Amino acid sequence: MDPFGSSAPSSGASSGPSADAMMEQIKTQLAQAYAKEFLETVGSKCFTKCITKPGTSISGSESSCISRCIDRYIEATGIISRSLFSSPH
Amino acid sequence: MENNAELQRFLEQEKQKAMVSEMVGKLTSVCWDKCITGTPGSKFSSSESTCLTNCAQRYMDMSMMIMKRFQSMQ
Repeated sequence: MDPFGSSAPSSGASSGPSADAMMEQIKTQLAQAYAKEFLETVGSKCFTKCITKPGTSISGSESSCISRCIDRYIEATGIISRSLFSSPH
Repeated sequence: MENNAELQRFLEQEKQKAMVSEMVGKLTSVCWDKCITGTPGSKFSSSESTCLTNCAQRYMDMSMMIMKRFQSMQ
């Protein structure tokens, strides 16, 4: 269960998970963590913007606001990373 | 032995990626709140996207200033 294990370096024995398997597992877990964080952030930002007065259900205008909000948040993320990494600054 | 070096390199790389991703996520959140004041439209206005770009770059400038300020206090 513990991906990093706590076993002492076993001399030459090729038992236990291989480095490749470990890296794959870490990649998957990281991707899940990144996705979770992103979804939570988008959820909180778009809820604030679009659901200003929660009614008995999400209205048509609220739901179109939400989908625009999601698209814009993704676009904003792109603008921010470009401004950081390709600045002539 | 060789696997271990490979693993170290991989972890180092992922650590870098995580730092970058955290930074981008944080800046996007802060700058979204500052620059996108109305309800999100189907396209960013040019002032909104300029604001986002400036916001990110000024945040970095400010972080630099803060770092220098603290260094000079030691």
